[in-house]
Amino acid sequence: MNNYKLITKQNLHSFFDALQPKNTIIAPKEINKKYYFKPVDKFEDIALDYIQTVLSAKSVLFPRSDTLFNYHRADGDYNIDEPSPIEKNTIVFGMKPCDASSFVYLSNFFLKDYQDKNIKERLEKLYIISLSCKEADNACFCTSVGSNPASTKGSDLNLTLIENDTYYVEVVTEKGQELINYSADLFQDTKEIDKSKYIANVPQKFDVEQAKQNIDSIFESPLWVKDSLACLGCGICAYACPTCTCFDIQDIGSQFNGSRVRNWDSCAFDLFTKHASGHNPRPVQSQRWRNRIKHKFEYSVENLGLISCVGCGRCIRSCPTSMNIVKTVQIFQGV
Amino acid sequence: MNSQNIYLPYKMRIEKITEEAPMVKTFKLAFVNPEDESNFEFKTGQFGEYSVFGAGESTFCIASSPTHKGYIECTFRKAGKVTTALYNCEEGDIIGFRGPYGNNFPLEDWEGKSVLFIAGGIGLPPVRSVIWNCLDLRDKFKDITILYGAKTVQDLVYKNELEEWAKRPDVKLITTVDPGGETPDWKGEVGFVPSILKKASPKGENAVAIVCGPPIMIKLTLPILLEIGFTEESIFTTLENRMKCGIGQCGHCAVGPYYVCKDGPVINYADLQLLPVEY
Repeated sequence: MNNYKLITKQNLHSFFDALQPKNTIIAPKEINKKYYFKPVDKFEDIALDYIQTVLSAKSVLFPRSDTLFNYHRADGDYNIDEPSPIEKNTIVFGMKPCDASSFVYLSNFFLKDYQDKNIKERLEKLYIISLSCKEADNACFCTSVGSNPASTKGSDLNLTLIENDTYYVEVVTEKGQELINYSADLFQDTKEIDKSKYIANVPQKFDVEQAKQNIDSIFESPLWVKDSLACLGCGICAYACPTCTCFDIQDIGSQFNGSRVRNWDSCAFDLFTKHASGHNPRPVQSQRWRNRIKHKFEYSVENLGLISCVGCGRCIRSCPTSMNIVKTVQIFQGV
Repeated sequence: MNSQNIYLPYKMRIEKITEEAPMVKTFKLAFVNPEDESNFEFKTGQFGEYSVFGAGESTFCIASSPTHKGYIECTFRKAGKVTTALYNCEEGDIIGFRGPYGNNFPLEDWEGKSVLFIAGGIGLPPVRSVIWNCLDLRDKFKDITILYGAKTVQDLVYKNELEEWAKRPDVKLITTVDPGGETPDWKGEVGFVPSILKKASPKGENAVAIVCGPPIMIKLTLPILLEIGFTEESIFTTLENRMKCGIGQCGHCAVGPYYVCKDGPVINYADLQLLPVEY
């Protein structure tokens, strides 16, 4: 439904002020020179010139710890109740296009067979305002996985800074129009423009289709071992990843009262697949690294038709031993 | 049960606890809410998530047959946090159950055929559900043979049912224990399941085999089944990967693009060979 508008930075501030009272706004915030998605209530608190946050915004849909239900014991029986649904809409303000596109994957994944109730409710109340990238770093590789620094995929509104104080606004969805309607007079209509000269240059680092042919066909190979010797199995790549969806289910509390929760998990962990008997289908780290790469580029394509990597580069930036998914894919492209 | 939040469990009352073997118990579970019971249906081979509130959930098959209405049974070995909490439960206690999940054994395809059941140790519970299901529809199948082995006589589960099957003229039961696991009055075979299978050599023509047990038993049993005439499509097993959600989302049980919980757990040998060996 794309239509195009302009808004000045000053008016963007006013737009924020119009949205803020009725919505929960999550936005990147600078904390000790690093950036994190946090609830914000003042426009000044939003970082508009960051490259990437430490963790993705997936937690607005799929929180690190998500209560499935609460229980308490009464007269030898249990009462079970569900957490009350969220009332306010959530707006993520200033998410990067790579992260916005991860929401396309996440919604497909969680609503495919069984519609996950918590996630469906959050998705209905979620609005995404993305911000095209002015700058990128060496870890960024969105252009290698079918995206670009100004992609509107997954966004409701996309903002691109075209002059010092003017943003070009693409209204991507009905939900985006709903947001505009909070204060439509702050926006000025315009024609479609070529955004390419206003955005970061992210060189393409691999040809995903070519690499996929080898990733898909090579299972037993010393390449997987050699490439993963440095992996500690710490799982930070999965925690930082906007499309990693694996989780564990645990009870928090006593036999009398508590909650059953869903927590992020990672296929990098030994315990992730270990049977009660001690048998482990993926006993060594290279098999777990192989699973991660094959899941992102092969299995999720087979199951959902989508690569589950958006090129945000967080796994590369956060790995304590400099494991690098781009280098792995390059190795397989070159086989 | 709310149809949307799939993580809400049915509340089940433990009606009866049977001590099967060291550290192995069977629970007979009844639905606390009658409407849950009337809405509940499952097929043989499906599994569920059993939970002790405060300890968490654990995955086991439904060990009873769908032909036995009004209750379900599960059999488990005390191994980790949740199974220890279950093990410590008493009759009358309330636990959680959600399910059924996964696919099932295709009994309708087996009509008119002989059925060979092969189980090792704690691999009998999923097979027991199919055994009773077939026995309750006995006319639909030809010969029914059960080969069951355990490490020791003590480790054999469902001892009463083994006696019952042994007495039935329409069932051929072979029980075996590993060498050294026998007692002075043991009347069954002594030897590992694959060699006892070879000795018995039931016919593979117009027959299906259901195999469940430790990975090593399965690995050594499969070639013998092929030798005696079973085809890759007529050999079924049920995979037992670690699971959390049961609905193809948590990722734990994934074997390549295949989710044991939703694409399995029942799989024939032909399809099994298409998967990476991560089970």
